[in-house]
Amino acid sequence: LPVRLTCVCVRACAGVVVAAALLVLGCASSGATARPLVGAAAAKQPLQTSRPYNIAHRGSNGELPEETAAAYMRAVDEGADFIEADIVATKDGHLVCFHDVTLDDTTDVADHKEFAARRRTLQVQWANVTGYFITDFTLAELKTLRVKQRWSFRDKSHDGISPIITFDEFIDIALNAKRVVGIYPEMKSPVFINQHVKWADGKKYEDKFIATLKKYGYGGKYMTKRWTERPVFIQSFAPTSLIYAADLTDSPKVFLIDDVTVRTEDTDQSYEEITSDEYLDYMREYVVGIGPWKDTVVPPTRDNTLTTPTDMVAMAHARGLQVHPYTYRNENRFLHYNFRQDPYAEYDYWLNDVGVDGLFTDFPASLRRFQDWTAAKN
Amino acid sequence: MDSLWHASVIVLVLLFIGGSDANPAARRHSQLDVNHKKQPLQTFRPYNIAHRGSNGEIPEETAAAYLRAIDEGTDFIETDILASEDGHLICFHDVTLDNTTDIASRTEFAGRKRTYEVQGVNMTGWFTVDFTLRELKSLRVKQRFSFRDQQYNGKYNILTFDEFILIALHADRVVGIYPEIKNPIFINQHVKWSGGKKFEDKFVETLLKYGYKGKYMSEDWLMKPLFIQSFAPTSLIYISNITNAPKLLLIDETTVPTQDTNQSYYEITSNGYLAFIRKYVIGIGPWKDTIIPPENNHLGPATDLVARAHALNLQVHPYTFRNENSYLHFNFHQDPYAEYEYWLREIGVDALFTDFTGSLHKYLEWTAPHQNKEKKCRGPPA
Repeated sequence: LPVRLTCVCVRACAGVVVAAALLVLGCASSGATARPLVGAAAAKQPLQTSRPYNIAHRGSNGELPEETAAAYMRAVDEGADFIEADIVATKDGHLVCFHDVTLDDTTDVADHKEFAARRRTLQVQWANVTGYFITDFTLAELKTLRVKQRWSFRDKSHDGISPIITFDEFIDIALNAKRVVGIYPEMKSPVFINQHVKWADGKKYEDKFIATLKKYGYGGKYMTKRWTERPVFIQSFAPTSLIYAADLTDSPKVFLIDDVTVRTEDTDQSYEEITSDEYLDYMREYVVGIGPWKDTVVPPTRDNTLTTPTDMVAMAHARGLQVHPYTYRNENRFLHYNFRQDPYAEYDYWLNDVGVDGLFTDFPASLRRFQDWTAAKN
Repeated sequence: MDSLWHASVIVLVLLFIGGSDANPAARRHSQLDVNHKKQPLQTFRPYNIAHRGSNGEIPEETAAAYLRAIDEGTDFIETDILASEDGHLICFHDVTLDNTTDIASRTEFAGRKRTYEVQGVNMTGWFTVDFTLRELKSLRVKQRFSFRDQQYNGKYNILTFDEFILIALHADRVVGIYPEIKNPIFINQHVKWSGGKKFEDKFVETLLKYGYKGKYMSEDWLMKPLFIQSFAPTSLIYISNITNAPKLLLIDETTVPTQDTNQSYYEITSNGYLAFIRKYVIGIGPWKDTIIPPENNHLGPATDLVARAHALNLQVHPYTFRNENSYLHFNFHQDPYAEYEYWLREIGVDALFTDFTGSLHKYLEWTAPHQNKEKKCRGPPA
């Protein structure tokens, strides 16, 4: 067995199923070689901090189904600075990497007749959503599902191969990389999770999330030695979760900001309110940056061209806040015409004209190439 | 002929002044003066050919699309030459006007819709060969693809071959031209010229008028770079008697026979045929998916076409490279630069026809900038 597999077997709670899946992945993925044991951080190539961060949004999900071990390992191979994940909880309180609260769009749950009766309608952020809710499944049940590529226009040849992974398994992938790779986990839908999942010890979702990070030695303020050895950004759309987490850990946090019409799920505040001078002054006590939807920073016209940028980046930078917009994708349907259907032109604009500090991208390989090729010029 | 040339120049000037936004070249009055020292054509790395101009951004084969391509750093601007009813050579890709002009909304031309046989297939539409140049000039061009920028629709008109050449010659650096003898069988069937001349004669006449001549890499050629392309081998053989400018044989899908000699793909890519055509052309321009046929939108095994062409000292200029993910095989992860890298570094072709000359220029500048002067061997001059 390869060295990597042995390390994961020791740590993983789900045991044989995970090991088997990772063995399949190990055969399927390209370029993965023996990895050093966790703890030999001093020998690793450090995180680059001289240019904006390349954040692999849900892993290299342009190529492989999102939030799977394969997608994360591909992102590591492709040179991402950070691998990003959305953390939600199972019925029996395990933290897993998964974006949606329902399993419908990215798994084969619809093919599992044994779960057919679990389809239901719940309220999620004031809207009714119907589907198979992840909070209605135990971890063991989730592990019988297989993940599929969300988008019809992306490669579907890996569908049905990979399972959902736990927060622990995600962290393992980062720590087992040959170089220092940061993690960027999100406290996802905390209001919904805390409504539907209860932990026996009275702890809530945010407690479990932070406890997992601490278990693996994540801690320390941004750019401290401790942080650079185990880089992490904790992100959330819910300000109260970030403020609550600030009491538990000094790890850097990033406040995510949704579209202009969406209100915060915990405090029911509007976009205008949470991007005001006063609110940013307030939040900068708790976070090191903001993560806005890119179309709110530079709004597009109906004809798919860019209009004048807002002053959001200036306001953030004036307060020492980083800006990490989301999400950068190669497909032309996601590119405004100014970029001539060229994802590298979009990177160029955001990194060099707008001047942000990191990009969440579905295509870390493309961003890495752009940064490497243009680094020589700078 | 003279008055028409003057009219073309006036039209070109009016194009610059009147209404189109994307013509910064209008401010630079580079002369046709041979004493003016222009930055020469780069010849150390593969050629960047702006297929129909920068048509990823601006409607194809318009002055604006060509000027954008020049601004973006292209090596060659490419065009398809057809003819009008009254024998003028125009830049236009389709034999019909339907897909890229506002012809359908022109009630005055409603009665001109026809059905003709084109390369063995019946086609219905408004054919360029049924319109005089003046009538064609009254039309406005639009972006062919719905997923590309529509904001320039209705702004630009169809160019003549003369106007296209003048755009290249007026650039403030040396920019080559890459015109195609397009649908010559069809054109010669429908358009007649006086003096027994045919389409190919008029095509070459135009080039000679502007001083295009000289073998590949000769001093004459480097000052006015030119490749003549066609899918019809007899047209290329015919014109080799009247010009020694370099020519390329275009090669279509494996199912499409040549329009003039009715030969199959397999025949014209055989070693015997390539050795024969090598006497007349310096390269081939194949459809890229015939060089490396795809399977389930992944690249299959490569054929040996490039190796065999290179063994005969034939350049390979495949078409067409586009940024949109629907055109990219999954191996490239929806990244057009990954596709450039594969074709130029791994397969090693000598040029690319691209709808996005700006992107290809960036790739080339970032990975093979002018300072490095890598010597790309393309074989001795033809």
